[in-house]
Amino acid sequence: MKPTNASDDEKLRTLLRATRPVVTLPPRFQENVWRRIENAESHKGPLAAYWFDALATWILRPRLALTFATVLLVAGFGFGWNHGQENERQEAQDRYLAAVAPNILH
Amino acid sequence: MNRSLVIVLLALVVGATVFGSAYVLSHRVRTMQCQGPTDDLAWLRQEFRLSDAELKKVRVLHKGYLPKCAEMCARIAAKKKELEQVLAGQTNVSATAEQKLSELDVLRAQCQTEMLRHFVEVSQAMPPEQGRRYLAEMQRVTLGKHDQIEKSMSDSAGHAHGHD
Repeated sequence: MKPTNASDDEKLRTLLRATRPVVTLPPRFQENVWRRIENAESHKGPLAAYWFDALATWILRPRLALTFATVLLVAGFGFGWNHGQENERQEAQDRYLAAVAPNILH
Repeated sequence: MNRSLVIVLLALVVGATVFGSAYVLSHRVRTMQCQGPTDDLAWLRQEFRLSDAELKKVRVLHKGYLPKCAEMCARIAAKKKELEQVLAGQTNVSATAEQKLSELDVLRAQCQTEMLRHFVEVSQAMPPEQGRRYLAEMQRVTLGKHDQIEKSMSDSAGHAHGHD
């Protein structure tokens, strides 16, 4: 092994220190970590209950509820309209068939 | 948990009600808008996107075909009546009944031939692609019914033989 002297070691240490990133933690980092741990602890219980609570909280958001109601309204209207059109088409086809291919054939 | 469950269930009920109401309302509005077609050829015009000129040609063919169709129907109805009279009160199939059945079959075949000829003529009065689609659809709905009956009969016959 190659022998090293003390001045080289010191230079290396200084260089290594300089390359280490200096991380500044966000404000109230520790407090937030503890809060998240407490929240996780408080949700320990039946998994279904946790999901129902989460779903209920989600549903009760006014903007989301309004969006869902609008989507259901538009979808219901679209399906109803489409079904009405399909009935009308079927009625027209039956009328034509009754004229050109009466039931006496069948 | 209970409160959340109630909220979720209530949301489902409200959602289903909103969807259902919108569906029924729009269906009714659409049905009220169109009080049923009054023209026999309304379906052809809509389904095969016929122009006025094409529809006019089809209408001429349609009007020409209707009396022939009515005449064939009357002849078939008369023959059926004759067959019913021959069969009335009999416990076996007589030679006369057999003959009437054959005559009825011949009349039905003639009627179907006339009908198919008419469909071909109508299809030729349409743009080629629409004509092909019309012909295929008419064959499906008129001859397809016989195929279904025959298939169900052969299926049930095969099933019965399986038990012999």
